[in-house]
Amino acid sequence: MEVLKEKVEEEEEAEREEAAERGEKMMRPVEMRREEPPMTQEMLRDLEKKLSEIEIVIPEQPSIITKDTFDISKLPLSYQSNTLKEEHLLQVADNFARQYSHLCPDRVPLFLHPLNECEVPKFVSTTIRPTLMPYPELYNWDSCAQFVSDFLSMVPLPDPLQPPSYLYSPTTVLTHQKGNCFDFSTLLCSLLLGAGYDAYCVNGYGSQDLCQMDLTRDVCPLTMKHKEVVQEEEKVPPKKYAIKPPRDLSSRFEQEQEMKKQQEIKVEEEKRRKEEEQRLLEVEKAKIDPLHGLRVHAWVLVLSGKREVPESFFIDPFTGRSYSTRDDHFLGIESLWNQKNYWINMQDCWHGCKDLVFDLGDPVRWEYLLLGTDKAHLSVAEDEEDGMNDDEDVENLGKEDEDKSFDMPSSWVEKIEISPEVFETRCPNGKRVIQYKKAKLEKWAPYLNSNGLMCRLTTYEDLECTKTLEIKEWYQNREDMLELKHINKSTGLNIDYFKPGHPQALRVHSYKSMQPEMDRVMEFYETARVDGLIKREETPKTMTEYYQGRTDFLSYRHVDFGDRVKKLALNSAESNPRPMVKITERFSRNPEKPADEDVAERVFLTPEERIQVRYHCWDDRITASKREFLRRAEVDSKGNKIIMTPDMCISFEVEPTEHTKKLLYQYEAMMKLKNEEKLSRHQAWESELEVLEILKLREEEEEVHALTISIYDTKRNEKSKEYREAMERVMHEEHLRQVEAQLDYLAPFLAQLPPGEKLTRWQAMRVKDECLSDFKQRLIDKANLIQARFEKETQELQKKQQWYQENQVTLTAEDEDWYLSYCSQAMFRIRILEQRLNRHKELAPLKYLALEEKLHKDPRLVEFLKVFV
Amino acid sequence: MQRLYDSVEPRVMDEDMLKLAVGEQGPQEEAGQLARQEGILFKDVLSLRLDFQNILRIDSLWQFENLRKLQLDNNIIEKIEGLEHLVHLVWLDLSFNNIEAIEGLDTLVNLEDLSLFNNRISKIDSLDALVKLQVLSLGNNQIGNMMNIIYLRRFKDLRTLSLSGNPITESEDYKMFIYAYLPDLVYLDFRRIDDHMKDLAGSKHQYGIDELKHREHLIQARLDDERARQEELKKHKVAFVEHLNGSFLFDSMYAEDVDGNKLASLPGVGELLQAYKDKFVIICLNIFEYGLKQQEKRKLELDTFNECIQEAIQENQEQGKRRIAKFEEKHLLSLNAIREESDLTNIEIKIVEYGEDITELFNVLMTLEMQLVEQLEETINMFERNITDLVALFIENVQSLMAQCRDLENHHHEKLLEISINTLERIVKGELDEDLPDDVRALFVDKDTIVNAVGASHDIHLLKIDNREDELVTRTNSWCTHLVDTIHKDEIMRNRRRVKEINQYIDHMQNELDNLECSDVID
Repeated sequence: MEVLKEKVEEEEEAEREEAAERGEKMMRPVEMRREEPPMTQEMLRDLEKKLSEIEIVIPEQPSIITKDTFDISKLPLSYQSNTLKEEHLLQVADNFARQYSHLCPDRVPLFLHPLNECEVPKFVSTTIRPTLMPYPELYNWDSCAQFVSDFLSMVPLPDPLQPPSYLYSPTTVLTHQKGNCFDFSTLLCSLLLGAGYDAYCVNGYGSQDLCQMDLTRDVCPLTMKHKEVVQEEEKVPPKKYAIKPPRDLSSRFEQEQEMKKQQEIKVEEEKRRKEEEQRLLEVEKAKIDPLHGLRVHAWVLVLSGKREVPESFFIDPFTGRSYSTRDDHFLGIESLWNQKNYWINMQDCWHGCKDLVFDLGDPVRWEYLLLGTDKAHLSVAEDEEDGMNDDEDVENLGKEDEDKSFDMPSSWVEKIEISPEVFETRCPNGKRVIQYKKAKLEKWAPYLNSNGLMCRLTTYEDLECTKTLEIKEWYQNREDMLELKHINKSTGLNIDYFKPGHPQALRVHSYKSMQPEMDRVMEFYETARVDGLIKREETPKTMTEYYQGRTDFLSYRHVDFGDRVKKLALNSAESNPRPMVKITERFSRNPEKPADEDVAERVFLTPEERIQVRYHCWDDRITASKREFLRRAEVDSKGNKIIMTPDMCISFEVEPTEHTKKLLYQYEAMMKLKNEEKLSRHQAWESELEVLEILKLREEEEEVHALTISIYDTKRNEKSKEYREAMERVMHEEHLRQVEAQLDYLAPFLAQLPPGEKLTRWQAMRVKDECLSDFKQRLIDKANLIQARFEKETQELQKKQQWYQENQVTLTAEDEDWYLSYCSQAMFRIRILEQRLNRHKELAPLKYLALEEKLHKDPRLVEFLKVFV
Repeated sequence: MQRLYDSVEPRVMDEDMLKLAVGEQGPQEEAGQLARQEGILFKDVLSLRLDFQNILRIDSLWQFENLRKLQLDNNIIEKIEGLEHLVHLVWLDLSFNNIEAIEGLDTLVNLEDLSLFNNRISKIDSLDALVKLQVLSLGNNQIGNMMNIIYLRRFKDLRTLSLSGNPITESEDYKMFIYAYLPDLVYLDFRRIDDHMKDLAGSKHQYGIDELKHREHLIQARLDDERARQEELKKHKVAFVEHLNGSFLFDSMYAEDVDGNKLASLPGVGELLQAYKDKFVIICLNIFEYGLKQQEKRKLELDTFNECIQEAIQENQEQGKRRIAKFEEKHLLSLNAIREESDLTNIEIKIVEYGEDITELFNVLMTLEMQLVEQLEETINMFERNITDLVALFIENVQSLMAQCRDLENHHHEKLLEISINTLERIVKGELDEDLPDDVRALFVDKDTIVNAVGASHDIHLLKIDNREDELVTRTNSWCTHLVDTIHKDEIMRNRRRVKEINQYIDHMQNELDNLECSDVID
């Protein structure tokens, strides 16, 4: 291991030197320019002009979030300071780092405790906050990774060769929706750990494309065609009495020669194709990256085992794609960590990550920071020994004994929360553009575009993306159920795909122009249609329809149109349908009819008045009956109209029968066919009308592009919101009313009795009596109260009157006024009290009786009191 | 022709009357003209109305083979007759006649609607053949016995029944009785039956119905049993080993053997006989099992063969169809081309080309057919060999088993002879203690008699065994030859049909071409 390590270090050293040299080289031209002769004023002006013309690309902020963009003080306390345990951990980590740098002086310093947004050093493992999101979409790793890659916008590292000095909490990253690869990885790792995956953040080195999120050399996953798996049919073993094939009389030698020739041609073609591919690859190949192998990147490793992951893999958090652990893009691993521990890679990364073994329990390959985590060790059988080795390793590193029992403090980060609105919007501002090789992918949040556009994939012919090849647009929530629009720029063909539910049951509509009577194909959801139409193809002169599952067994109808006849009358309001020249209809076999009478195909040649009918074939026959009717309106020599003559019907019958030879039979058959011809023409005409209708409808839909809102979407559905609020109000009122109604006059008396028991008659009687006597007492009390007040008022009035009479002489006018008003008020009060008392006296017995009656009717007492009524 | 409604004079159903009726009720207008030109064949008529004709006897209807609907109401018919040939009849109206008994309907198995309204019928019967009957109208008759209703239970499809105007309806229980005993009925006397009433009636007549049902069930069970037994026997017969799964053969050996039965009463013979029987039955069972197994094998062989043959024929037919379809496409094009062509020489050339096409098609189709014939012949021969081998093996094995039977018989015979002679000696010596029946004792007069008797018994036994064996062998062999013959014959038939079909088609095409030529020449 020592040797290996040295080797690695040497290589790394070499790389670094190389990089430094390159840096020097790059610096040189700049220095050269400095030595240019001083400029004149004109030159300066020129330069100024030129400079002003140049669009300045402002280099991206080295630090992602500047201090003033958010208020640190609002962050929770755990963000702003370290607990004792965390301090301890930092000490341990520092100690570990010291020893590590001592033992491996050639390796880069470890990425252990970068500063967080509050300038507080935090250990990387504690920055991970495993959280299970309430969204089912985030339960699987692929959709989860896709979400993270969509949700955050990427900011490159301040120094592509070094890990950042800051690592913000996932919550802060989420609120700002941007971050570097470390932020991405930490967030993704948190989500994956929360969902139960065995996930790790990885600090390592990646290719330029990976680090800069450059997908221009990757084929867009959406453009890749699914390879159809050709299932090989199982060869049935030849049966005992299978017939022998007829003898092959062709020359085998000639066949072989032919085969050879073809083989040669094939080889030739293959060669040419390969050369072509090679050439293309050369063109596409990127220029060599000077910093290859030095660019720091962070990504996520998912180990096999948990959540039925069969094989370990990497996830690039920028793109959300998964890679095999042997992929070329990943050039090396420094360390990796999860919320529990931190491991340093002690393996050789000379061949990228190809040869790495991800057995974190193996202390030779992976040096861990903390002992005593529950990470699986190398193997079960040698558990004891490994433990010993571990101890030795620990001693090698000079770790204190007390560290053994030290475990990772819990995360300082708040729980990760994503609100449904933000989750639905996904991308920052709801929009995102990804550039692929020869393709551009644009994504939008639902309801962001008024036409429901969700995703657009533009494919280009060339690498520079100038010539558009085709455009695919995905829609959602459209009222017309449009799902995908496919525009082929080179052929001009548009194909619209619909989900089930279009008012005309449209499934696919491919067309070049929306004008009627042009080339178009419409496919339908045949089960949603009454007539079972599957597909209708149109060309300027023909219309072909395919049916399925009809009761008349019609499966195909083909109409040839002739040129439109010019109409003499200029009533343009009436449509001028094209004349139908030929109608061909095919039927599938109706098992209830004999094959001789079951029509397989009939052709109406309208201008010639010719009808051709072909019948189905018997099971054991190879020829089918045919009949051809030729209507000739002729008049015989006597001037009588000829109804039917034998030459008007040419028929071929497989099994000639007598009755079909009769003119009557033929006449009836012809009449029937004539009627059916009319019907078919009518149906074809209706089909034409329907096409027009659909086109009109489509245009309207395109213009309006109304979006549907699910009834479960409480946020957007205004109507349901109003309705819900109204309902809530009603409910509230109802509740209030109920509370009032439930005022129970028996409650205080029933409460005295043991709860939950049935009343006995005696108890019921007592309750009733008590209730009544109580009420009586109340009435009396009330009467007394009124009486007392009345008496008090009267007494006071008398006192005042006495006082007035005594001091009448000395009183001022004001006092007298006051006295008079007082008197009148007092008199009024007394009168009112008197009235009340009288009224009370009148009502009290009535009220008493009413209560008694009510008690008799009370459901709780009624059965006991019935007898006494 | 005048109609004599009021005349009492009965009329005869003759050709003229029928022709007139057919003509009147046949197609009208233009089609009618055509029909008159050509004449209508009686067998093409589907529906016929012969009401108010004063018909006394139904006659001359035998030509109307395909008649579906026949109305003979308001006549003076006294007897249902002459309808035997109208097997497709679905609708028969015989109302307002003087019929006294239901009869002559035994061949009308497709009848669904029968009206015998206003007749003189007193008993419902002779309708057993009418399994599809749905509507039965028997109003205004003289049906007086309630038990007639039970007869109607056998018609599972009967939905509508009318009995109004019969003496039976005067009974107060009439409706309830019908509801209860004909639960599938929907309309009675032109009224829909209330479900509630049906339930009520059901509970009222519960007891009687249950008993009836039980009886019906028993009869059904017995019938099923019988049928199952017949099936089983048929299966065994197909395997040529019927009655070998028991002591049937053994019993038949002794059935006609008088002497043998007599000798069985000799001391020691009883046990001997029992042991013999046991062994014999075991061998019979062996034969039986073996026979069934062989039958399975033969069946499998035959099935595979048929399947393969079918596949081959299908495949060949598909090829033929494809050829024809291709030709038809071309045919249409070339016909049109010829029609549109104006230059005479061009027409000539095209016609010749077209003729060549037809010949080529003919050749191709015939080659296909010949190829198939060769292939099939080879396969059939192979099958023939195999099946003959199988049968030969079967026979051989059965024969060896039968030989065992014979050995047993011989053995038994020797033993019996020994015992008999011993007994004779003892009788002669007068040592015999037991009492023998007189007829048995009669056998023991001298040595020749007893030896003859035992020999006769032995001969009978051997004969039985031989007969059984012979029967099995002959039947098996004849089955085999018959099978092979049928296959050959079928194949020849198929070939003939196909060749005929091809020729017919080609002739038609050629004809069309000739017609074209003719018309061209005329033009």
